[in-house]
Amino acid sequence: MRLTLEFGGGLELLCDSVKIHNVNVASQNGIEKLTMKDLLCWVRTNLIKERPEMFMKGDSVRPGVLVLINDCDWELSGQLDTTLEEKDVVVFISTLHGG
Amino acid sequence: MAEAESKQRKPGARLCCICSQRRPALKRPKTLEQICRECFYEVFEEEIHQVIVQNQLFKPGERVAIGASGGKDSTVLAYVLSELNRRHNYGVDLFLLSIDEGITGYRDDSLETVKRNEIQYGLPLKIVSYKDLYGWTMDEIVKVIGLKNNCTFCGVFRRQALDRGAAFLKVDKVATGHNADDIAETVLLNILRGDIARLSRCTSITTGEDGPIPRCKPFKYTYEKEIVMYAYFKRLDYFSTECIYSPNAYRGFAREFIKDLERIRPRAILDIIRSGENFRISTSTKMPEQGTCERCGYISSQKWCKACVLLEGLNRGLPKLGIGRSRGLNNEEKREKKQSNGISAIESKACGTLDF
Amino acid sequence: MACSSGACQSNNCYKQEEEEESEQNSIASILDAKRGTESNDPQQSLCIKCKANSPISCTGEDVRFCADCFRSNLYGKFRLAVSSHAMITPSDKVLVAFSGGPASRVALQFVHEMQNRAQKNFDASRDRSLPVFGVGVAVIDESAIYPIPAHEFDEAITEIKLVVSNLAPPTKELHIVPIENVYASDSVDKRNRLKELLDSVTDVTGKEDLLLHLKMLSLQKIASENGYSRLILGSCTSRIACHVISAAVKGQGYSLSANIQYVDARWDTPIVLPLRDCLSQELNLLCRVDGLKTVELLNGPSSGINHLVSSFVALLQEENPSRECTIVRTAGKLTPFHFNRIPEISDCNVPLATRRRQKRFSLQPKESISSESFCPICISPLNKSEMQTLSGFGSFQSSDTFSPSCCPSCRFQILPKDPHSMEHFISLLPQPLAAQSKHDIGGNLNLLREQIQDFLLSDSDSET
Repeated sequence: MRLTLEFGGGLELLCDSVKIHNVNVASQNGIEKLTMKDLLCWVRTNLIKERPEMFMKGDSVRPGVLVLINDCDWELSGQLDTTLEEKDVVVFISTLHGG
Repeated sequence: MAEAESKQRKPGARLCCICSQRRPALKRPKTLEQICRECFYEVFEEEIHQVIVQNQLFKPGERVAIGASGGKDSTVLAYVLSELNRRHNYGVDLFLLSIDEGITGYRDDSLETVKRNEIQYGLPLKIVSYKDLYGWTMDEIVKVIGLKNNCTFCGVFRRQALDRGAAFLKVDKVATGHNADDIAETVLLNILRGDIARLSRCTSITTGEDGPIPRCKPFKYTYEKEIVMYAYFKRLDYFSTECIYSPNAYRGFAREFIKDLERIRPRAILDIIRSGENFRISTSTKMPEQGTCERCGYISSQKWCKACVLLEGLNRGLPKLGIGRSRGLNNEEKREKKQSNGISAIESKACGTLDF
Repeated sequence: MACSSGACQSNNCYKQEEEEESEQNSIASILDAKRGTESNDPQQSLCIKCKANSPISCTGEDVRFCADCFRSNLYGKFRLAVSSHAMITPSDKVLVAFSGGPASRVALQFVHEMQNRAQKNFDASRDRSLPVFGVGVAVIDESAIYPIPAHEFDEAITEIKLVVSNLAPPTKELHIVPIENVYASDSVDKRNRLKELLDSVTDVTGKEDLLLHLKMLSLQKIASENGYSRLILGSCTSRIACHVISAAVKGQGYSLSANIQYVDARWDTPIVLPLRDCLSQELNLLCRVDGLKTVELLNGPSSGINHLVSSFVALLQEENPSRECTIVRTAGKLTPFHFNRIPEISDCNVPLATRRRQKRFSLQPKESISSESFCPICISPLNKSEMQTLSGFGSFQSSDTFSPSCCPSCRFQILPKDPHSMEHFISLLPQPLAAQSKHDIGGNLNLLREQIQDFLLSDSDSET
């Protein structure tokens, strides 16, 4: 599944200072569905190069990291349970960095 | 983005709580309402306008400097204030005021952002640098004193630099980008460190009215989440990294705690601020006599102001002067603890950000 | 550290640090986190107080006192709190609330020791003029809310009975009372009514807090039904530190100072906290050293905000062993309420010394206003600005007045959101919840009503 992932607010520093990643995420265990929970695992393994604790806490993003799926707050779409679709744009922004 | 907008995740999904027409784009932490982007802009700006009006933060004809660090809060503040000033005819002259601490790889980059903001928002910018004011950059200071007390130097110098910059611009007031999360964090930190005097002051929307230049916080009730969402949706240009010199273990705990709290009860942030406003603190704390520093003329309750004491130490090769137990130049005076009263409220922004 | 103490923006960053260091209270000398690195020092291998015995050796915490000095230091803190605030006088009959945890276990132990000494003095004295105060123990059985297997419950009860019967002479009456007895004795189906009440609260933190208020109410009920004059709680510094933070988080800044004092005389039976200056680590350690049996079974789990706060405070305490003390000290600087002291003793049976001591230490209320209004749920004093945040009411039905008379925190986390369920919710509350407070709520409502009228008037004035 092709997705566009964007990191901002300082999170890009955790992945080699690259803000926008066009990625192809293989669906897990042969199941067609890809949820945000799966994606976070994938990001953690494949994109985050340092200090993963700045990005995740438990199996979700660290509190203070905002997530938008197609420019819509993920709190509206079910957070970890949100199902992703082809060509979705997922944005992660940290609010924790200096103001 | 156009593509993203056209995507309808769930047909017949809920509509914006306010306009009932468009698809919601975010959930407001303050009210838990689901609202669309357009309504969000409107309520976000209107709430800040109401805070400004109700607290009479600005008067027509005033000159107001926005403490600009290039970070999210001050960038959004500059954008929103210039917008509201125009829309509601506040009649104030706005300026951007930045401090250059001289931290390579951090402040130089963020100042580039502020310079772009100067052009984007058409606000005159003044940068005051530690090097010009004190003859030292933070890089040079850290080379001498190491990473132990660097934040003390930076904090003392910044406060004075801001006042000097404000005096240069002849402004009546400085507005800073402290948001609700920051203030809640400050309340907690003041409880954790036993600082009752600051605890009683830290929730005031305007501080330092008896000092040279009052400071105000138009974002006192604005959630950090909404500020970041606003900046993102409006594609505002801001800079975000942590100061390379700031260790942040203890403050980090408080910050993380606030974010954990927000996740299970978003209103907790405003509740902490309300607690801070309602604490029963007897107001009998004595204000120190306000004089001026014999060396530089800055307000000081001591013979020399704090910045001059620190500077003297640096220049004499005794950087510990003025740090720790006050055996410095002012030791004949009363405990220095009183000195800070009335000068400025403590804030808990991460070191190196420009929101004082 | 200057920066990590969080004050970098201030020009007295270092001063706070200094203050913290200088005010490190005795705990720092008892529990020294860094001592491990200096353990080779021969000086360190003796008790820092008596310099004769070797300190308590135990894993985890580092202790510099020997068992005897440690115990007497802790008991000393307890006794100072008791005597400075006139918590227990010879004519009193005190009720110790026993949860089975280490804090209340130590409270029970110390009260017993104090009583035991008083008894010995009494027996030795010729005129026998000084009576010995009485002691009872109350256990609230929460199995209605947190069900546990019957045999475990029976075991716990046996254990508790054993603990109390071993603390004799003097013998102590034990009251084991189910939480649902908070309802009047003639009410039907108390257990289900209580369950329904708690189930109607959707917020987990609210549910937990409501249960806590009900527990307090039950304790008060036991105390007044059995003629006790004091209720002793085992709240320690650590517990109070958590309360300070969670009260701040729940927006209870105004009433915060009411609940953290040594004495709380809002109730018919004043509540006293003699372990206010002891840390939970110290109490745990004493239980371990002296083999004091604790019974944890009867306590419900903590969740939501309260849980988050206790892990936050625990984290801070780990980083700095005097953090909990500092938190409580900060809160101690807030102005207490007039009811945070034992009402003046006029009884001439009380020895002059006690009275004098009480005078010396007691808080003299600055303002003699006692027209406080209280939230009927949590009995927090309300501040005026909070009472004015009421909206939308026409006629004064009981369900219409109830909600505005509650504090904003209870309104949010305990009361039903839907106004239609309010009547039902109120019907589920135990009757005395409001009336138990000395300051009767009816008077408050009148005051409230006046304030509302004023508020409405001024509002409409400004509009025209």
